[in-house]
Amino acid sequence: MSTEVMLNEFKEISQHPYRVLSQYKQEGKKVIGVLPYYAPVELVVAAGMVPMGIWGSNSKTISMAKEYCATFYCTIAQLALEMLLDGTLDQLDGIITPTICDTLRPMSQNIRVAMSEKLPCIFLAHPQNRKPSFGLQFTMDQYNHVKAELEKISGSAITDEALREAIKVMNRNRAARREFVKLAGEHPETISAVTRSAVLRAAWFMEPVAYAQKLEALNAQLSALPVQPWKGRKVVTSGIICDNPKLLQIFDDNKIAIAADDVAHESRAIRVDAAETGDPMMALAQQFADQDYDVLLYDEHSNQNRRADYVVDLVKKSGAQGLVLFMQQFCDPEEMEYPYLKKALDDAGIPHIKLGIDQQMRDFGQASTAIQAFADVL
Amino acid sequence: MSVFTLGIDIGSTASKCVMLADGHEIVSKSLVAVGAGTSGPQRAIAQVLENAGKTKEDMAFILATGYGRNSMLELADQQMSELSCHAKGASFLFPDVHTVVDIGGQDVKILQIENGVMTNFVMNDKCAAGTGRFLDVMARVLEVKVEELGALGAQSTKKVEISSTCTVFAESEVISQLAQDTDKRDIINGIHHSVASRVAGLAHRVGVRDQVVMTGGVAQNTGVVKALEEELGHIIYTSPLTQYNGALGAALFAYQKYQKEQKG
Repeated sequence: MSTEVMLNEFKEISQHPYRVLSQYKQEGKKVIGVLPYYAPVELVVAAGMVPMGIWGSNSKTISMAKEYCATFYCTIAQLALEMLLDGTLDQLDGIITPTICDTLRPMSQNIRVAMSEKLPCIFLAHPQNRKPSFGLQFTMDQYNHVKAELEKISGSAITDEALREAIKVMNRNRAARREFVKLAGEHPETISAVTRSAVLRAAWFMEPVAYAQKLEALNAQLSALPVQPWKGRKVVTSGIICDNPKLLQIFDDNKIAIAADDVAHESRAIRVDAAETGDPMMALAQQFADQDYDVLLYDEHSNQNRRADYVVDLVKKSGAQGLVLFMQQFCDPEEMEYPYLKKALDDAGIPHIKLGIDQQMRDFGQASTAIQAFADVL
Repeated sequence: MSVFTLGIDIGSTASKCVMLADGHEIVSKSLVAVGAGTSGPQRAIAQVLENAGKTKEDMAFILATGYGRNSMLELADQQMSELSCHAKGASFLFPDVHTVVDIGGQDVKILQIENGVMTNFVMNDKCAAGTGRFLDVMARVLEVKVEELGALGAQSTKKVEISSTCTVFAESEVISQLAQDTDKRDIINGIHHSVASRVAGLAHRVGVRDQVVMTGGVAQNTGVVKALEEELGHIIYTSPLTQYNGALGAALFAYQKYQKEQKG
């Protein structure tokens, strides 16, 4: 299969998750919706069900969800609720609602109130202190709760063996994505910013094994390509999500390639694997404990500005000339962390721009001006 | 024989053109007070050519900039962001410029300039506060012309604070002040300081260094310029060509592009 055909398949899936969901249901599969962030999808896979990521929508308009949300509320969360309320996600067999930020915590309750008669809503609270033994125990307790709820939906017990196998599947899936991110940065002439996003976005909708197989095949083809000199600029992207093709097209129009990313929807989600041996539930808890350098995760060494240093290092190692920060509107954690990131970038002499975005944006005129001017600065 | 280049700046509220001879002499300029998506751009182009007695074919290079720059792709040889063009234009008018404050119809940009080249910038978020649109809305509520705001604000004798940064809320605040019979001139002065305060906050993010030059239509409002001088603690330089600055920069870039093409 040619690279172009494979890329088009990823694009098709990325653009039409509803079709993918319907296909799973036609095949008699059970599908679990998974909201951001750090939900242990391994448990869903081990239960023999399909995990489907829900990161808002670039085409829906918030209407029904307004009844539940304050005015200044993250559009990703609101659009997830909107899709639950308007029937788009009616075919789901359940939904996992992590609560790691101040927006998702109340949203988990909104979803429970609005939807619990329609589908099981599985509450998941990650611990703030995730590294000490009591934190690990808390994570395991929470994951055991998720496991029990998933077992009710699937109708069968999740064995340790099945969970170990699921960990292997997801490790393989994450490894393929990490490799793709690296190869996309090396081959921007083949992988545009729009295409890169479509490939990574499809990971949230496809069955993990099928996705890993397809991406490994694509990676093999990309690896075989000679590295060509890139005549444009390279940047690192940062933020929660940037999967709007219209916005990313501006990057391509201005010959700005994405060398690497610090985006929650992309690389932040695939940095850490779980151990494939030992107690699998402990392996998943340890995996969460080992996550770092994320705006949402408590850092006991935060006074050292380690996250910002990590991002600066990412820019330097990737060969990028600058950073584009997608600031999701009304996201307090990202906004509050920004001054620290800015300081580290300024100190390192790395130019950056901050683009205010939300998922209801349809016009990107201002972003286009800023991105084009940024290319001039670089 | 002179080489003519044309810069077209299609903003959100006005269309401006500047024609240069040999990359340094302004031979014609035009301004139509409607911008992207209107008949303004075509009228501005027709005017600038007519003023100079030239045709499109006489132009060695045409460069479009501004919010509506992509609508000019059939006519223009190239398009560039208005930030780069404002930096270019301001550096031509004020060779020692280090900071450009450009307040346009729908956005605010602060540019950092080193040796005539833009090295950093910051733009406002998607919000009308601190922009020309903000002043348009306020002028309408106050029943005065926007071009009268500067002179009226200068007559203020009492400090009035317009504290809301949101245009909609600020409009309510102004209506409330009017209902309390507050002098319009004091309200206008308060509005100027409200704009200046917001723009200054943005400017400090990239740093402010002399010379500070203000461009864009709002630079014609002496009240905002004075209030911003107070907020920033720097003298602000403006030019009679302030509204044409983006188009001027575009025409300068057009000449550079022409020269580059000639060298092959």
